Amino acid sequence: MTANSSKDIAITTLLSVGQHPLSARPRRAEEDARALEVMLQFAPASMKALHAGDTADAQNLTVLKDYLGMGIPSIDVIPTSADSDAAEALASYLANAGDGQPHILLTGTRSEVGESSGFLPYLLAEKLAIPFVPNICDILSIDMAAGVAEVMQSLPRGQRRKIKTQLPFVASVGMAAAIPRQSSFGAARRGVINTVSSIDTVADEAQTAWKTEPARKRPKRLKVVKAKTAAERFKAATAKVQSSGGEKIYEVDKAAEAILKLLKEEKVL
Amino acid sequence: MVIRRNRRLEWIARNRLHPEHSAVLMGVNGGDEIGPSGLVRKRPHDIGFIGPNGIKRIDRLGNSLATMAGAGAHKGQAEVSLPLYVVENASQYVAVVLDAPEGRLSEHDKDLLGLAQQLKAAADNAASTAVAAIIFSSAAPEAARIESYQLAGVDRLIVLPAESDDYQPEQRAAQICALTAQYDFIHLCFPDTVLGGADTGRRVAANLAERPATSVWKLDGTQLICRGAAGKTDITRPLSKVIIALEQCADQIDESKHECLALSADAITLSASRIEDLGKAQVNPNDIDLTEANFILSGGNGIEDWDRFHEAARLLGATEGASRVAVDDGFMPRERQVGATGKWVTARVYIAVGISGAIQHMQGIGQCDKVIAINTDDSCDMVKRADLSIIADSDAILTALIETLSNQSSAEFHPQEAVA
Amino acid sequence: MADYLSQIIFWLGITLITLGVIGAMRRIRLWRQGQSSTVHWKGLLQIPKRYLVDLHHVVARDKYISNTHVATAGGFVLTSVLVIIVYLFGIKGAVLNWLMLFSSALMLVGAVFVFKRRINPPANLSKGKWSRLPYSLLIYSTTFLLLALPATGLLPDYTGSYLMIALLSVGVFWGFSEMYFGITWGGPMKHAFAGALHLGLHRRQERFGGGRSTGLKALDLDKDSLGVEKPEDFKWNQLLSFDACVECGRCEKACPAFAAGQPLNPKKLIQDMVVGMAGGDTAKFAGSPYPGVTGTYKGGAIIPIVDTLVPANTIWSCTTCRACVEECPMMIEHVDAIVDMRRHQTLEKGNTPGKSAELLENLKTTDNPNGYAPDSRMDWAADQNLKVFGEDTQQADVLLWMGDAAFDLRNQRTLRATVALLRAASVDFAVIGNQECDVGDAARRLGDEATFQRLTKDNIATLSKYQFKHIVTTDPHVFHSLKNEYPDFGGHYSVYHHTQFLAELVQQSKLKLNSTSLGDVTYHDPCYLGRYNGEFDAPRYLLESMGISVKEMERSQRRSRCCGGGGGAPITDIPGEQRIPDMRIADAKEINAGTVAVACPQCNAMFEGVVAPRPDIKDVAELMLDATVFEEAH
Repeated sequence: MTANSSKDIAITTLLSVGQHPLSARPRRAEEDARALEVMLQFAPASMKALHAGDTADAQNLTVLKDYLGMGIPSIDVIPTSADSDAAEALASYLANAGDGQPHILLTGTRSEVGESSGFLPYLLAEKLAIPFVPNICDILSIDMAAGVAEVMQSLPRGQRRKIKTQLPFVASVGMAAAIPRQSSFGAARRGVINTVSSIDTVADEAQTAWKTEPARKRPKRLKVVKAKTAAERFKAATAKVQSSGGEKIYEVDKAAEAILKLLKEEKVL
Repeated sequence: MVIRRNRRLEWIARNRLHPEHSAVLMGVNGGDEIGPSGLVRKRPHDIGFIGPNGIKRIDRLGNSLATMAGAGAHKGQAEVSLPLYVVENASQYVAVVLDAPEGRLSEHDKDLLGLAQQLKAAADNAASTAVAAIIFSSAAPEAARIESYQLAGVDRLIVLPAESDDYQPEQRAAQICALTAQYDFIHLCFPDTVLGGADTGRRVAANLAERPATSVWKLDGTQLICRGAAGKTDITRPLSKVIIALEQCADQIDESKHECLALSADAITLSASRIEDLGKAQVNPNDIDLTEANFILSGGNGIEDWDRFHEAARLLGATEGASRVAVDDGFMPRERQVGATGKWVTARVYIAVGISGAIQHMQGIGQCDKVIAINTDDSCDMVKRADLSIIADSDAILTALIETLSNQSSAEFHPQEAVA
Repeated sequence: MADYLSQIIFWLGITLITLGVIGAMRRIRLWRQGQSSTVHWKGLLQIPKRYLVDLHHVVARDKYISNTHVATAGGFVLTSVLVIIVYLFGIKGAVLNWLMLFSSALMLVGAVFVFKRRINPPANLSKGKWSRLPYSLLIYSTTFLLLALPATGLLPDYTGSYLMIALLSVGVFWGFSEMYFGITWGGPMKHAFAGALHLGLHRRQERFGGGRSTGLKALDLDKDSLGVEKPEDFKWNQLLSFDACVECGRCEKACPAFAAGQPLNPKKLIQDMVVGMAGGDTAKFAGSPYPGVTGTYKGGAIIPIVDTLVPANTIWSCTTCRACVEECPMMIEHVDAIVDMRRHQTLEKGNTPGKSAELLENLKTTDNPNGYAPDSRMDWAADQNLKVFGEDTQQADVLLWMGDAAFDLRNQRTLRATVALLRAASVDFAVIGNQECDVGDAARRLGDEATFQRLTKDNIATLSKYQFKHIVTTDPHVFHSLKNEYPDFGGHYSVYHHTQFLAELVQQSKLKLNSTSLGDVTYHDPCYLGRYNGEFDAPRYLLESMGISVKEMERSQRRSRCCGGGGGAPITDIPGEQRIPDMRIADAKEINAGTVAVACPQCNAMFEGVVAPRPDIKDVAELMLDATVFEEAH
């Protein structure tokens, strides 16, 4: 990659209002903040942040200010009401952006409120007819001439995979990306929230039929005993639970072997 | 003839727990007991057998005593054939796109098949509805695999061609979309696994312009219960075409056997993928966040030689962790601290070297599968928690580990290098 | 010939005093680069009193130097006044000559002791230009002593002794240069000029005359740039205060971060501020460096300080324990300066190190620093059947402020003990339960004034809903904030630390204590109770009421060594050579204490983190609970 070409590109990050899992207070959505961090660290020529939501809500504004505090000079807001479909609004805004359409559109993997389906980036990619890469943690390089980019995708257990994708593309940023920078009060104060008008929003009618309530505790599946005879049921109920108190080894020379054996059994070696 | 009573034998005959009980019952007199009157007595207690739990059982099904006794009992049962569930003339399908790594069903896949069977039962025309499992594979699955599919509730099986195990989400989504056009599935179920079903399912849904039900964890009649707001709410919503379900979304199938008949898929030409898998990146174990790491070597106050610790971690390929004391003393950086005040880890194997196990530390490793403790004190809390404990000086053990590992690696790799 | 000498002294005096006045104007212009702040003109009249009482009170903790300073400074001031009268105004008189003889002799005696102290100076003293000062003092005093001797007739006139005249001329020149010219041009005597003005125009006038002013100053969040980025962002009187530094290094000796090898030296920090204010580099500084930091750094009035002049870790090493402020004879406010710089880093740069960003975020979203569910604050008291304001009652005599201890297993024990003691004394008390927010102490010390003010306003709004007479808290940080910092935002309360309140209960015999046999017990003064609020006696009184004779550690009361838990230091976690709590526990071990009584949840947490074997750590309330005589309920 050449340094110049990679910086000529335009990145837009979609931001949503998150919710703290314990206090239920609005906050920067963790993944969206990471997406913004990926963009800020890559520092392309054109950086934009886009939010679709209710601008009349003071708490939403506080959260947008928190995003501004990370150092992005402004956030464009598509005003939508709480019951409208943000995906539709965003898609039509981006589809009509013309030259303003970014090379890379970053999102979180799913929102922290509402349906939280994680479907929005897929929908946007489909509507814009561009590829989508989920769960990335970094943008590695961009080759504008060839029209491709390399990104790092995070897999479970801390593993990583390199993905090459065509430009432009949509990517969702997961929790494995760099921790978002601290939001500073001063930058938040100086940042600007631009309201983008003239977008027709569509009401999300399907959702009105849904019933939403606080999450119930999911019953944990017990070890089901499929006993056919009374004797087996009896045995299952009374059998001594395998003691977890482990083996003790006192000899140094046997120790290494024992450890390596266990590691191999667990397939970590 | 005067029959003398042998009171000892009588006592043994009464005492079921006596080691000679059965021999006595069989009778020193040839199996028949002669009563005090000289008549041969029937022994109604002699029928049946003593079960493994010590309770007498009378087997009226005719299974012989010998096969039931001891370990034979379990073998007999495994062969009990489950009822075969047949769908004749299937007219519609509930599709399940399985992750099935290397063709093997994961627990999540089995849960999903259970959910699919529930969906099938709830369908309008349940009798002629079949659960069709879709797997990606370069070859037809072997017989043993097929049998496992049958037991997991697969009525029909569709094998879609896959060139490799690379990450090709666009191709796979396109294949499933084509298949959907062919069979018009009433539901498409995906396991909600990161970069597996969760990804493919959403791609398919976007392509089909269907709104997927995600994070589904229960089918309640004809309603789906989904987790919303990143796990904070439950959303009850009508059935949808694309269903992306969490683990344990339904009970697995275990009391019936299914046909697992092959269904064919029309061959399609795939357009070139816009996404290319460049392969896994080498990750330095120490760059893995502790909370994500699979294998952690954690050091504490008992470590004298930290270089040796780092060397051992490097050879083992383990992510390094530390106790609070080790961090406070500056041997390890703060982000390596394990425990309630540091990181809560979920490793498969956690080796605690010279950590006695303060309560905060034990809290932090609560979710680890296997714990190995290396400590000089065999009464410390870490040893109590550990699955394997080495009671010895930590430096000696680390040295032994390093030696063994470097011997092994030289034994394993050097000959090849020599050949090369 | 003597006339020549007079002429020389006259012209040298005129020249150097004029240059000195020019230097003073120049220095004042440097200070005026700072931001506006109230000018306490009346304070100027108080200078002599403040010097003789308040400043001397601090200096007198070291008898040697206080006596030395009285002799030297007293002698110098008197001599200089006489020099001006006699040589510049030409007023002669035998009395003046004898006075001059006396004053210069006095100064000479002082100068000799200054010289003696400088023969093998301790590490906390600066070298460089300060090593020159004893010679200058000796020369100045000797010169005028020698000039006074013939004038009083004790010695014959030097007329004819050209060598003597030449020597005296050199002496006068040297002396005047150092004392009249150097005083305003950055010589070591600058401390006298700036120090005197600083005493008069001090930003915290309340500190003089036995008062106390320890709360941080509120920051106007509507200003363009928040906190201090560059030296000119300081208030002018803060810049003046930096110039008052005499580089005695008492702060350095007292600083726990310096002792722990963290990159902070309060003395160097103040000197760096002087470099920043005047422009230049740090090469000339001749004292101890920031531990682990080498090299020369440049600064200027409009050049950002952090990472240019001062490493960022320096300002984040501070535990805000105020030991330096307490020790400073010039009454310099180091903590204010550090927090001012932190404010800029946090509010404008978003650059708070370590886990502090997480902590500040938690405060925003959950009102407590560790991100626990806000509605779980009362969980610890599930079995306590506490009265809760708003739920069970609208008024009570005492509002028990739980603080963050409510979330901490260890410090919940202290809370429980306090609750039991309050009940034993039949105190009518209640808590505000889940409505309580963190008091904001950590946020404020970490520079996040915005979060602090938000929490403050929320807490004040909650408190205004209920009627109570006093607030009692087990946390000195809460105590300090509520008592000294909330008034700036309209929250005026009668606040007690639990030891104070319990001490009153014991005094009124509402609590009866048995003697306990605990072995050797020492008491660790929490900074925010002791130095910040002057409460040293209540906890000791309580311990003595239990029949414990407190074994004092070497550093106790005003000079207590910090536990390392204040000012967000455990969160910023700046690496050093050793840990502050380890050093403090070593202090306790030195006197073979079996138990360290503490009165602060932070101290508790820090000390319990020290690797065993170590003394037991118990809150005073916990010790009391063991000793309390509970009367049977009737």
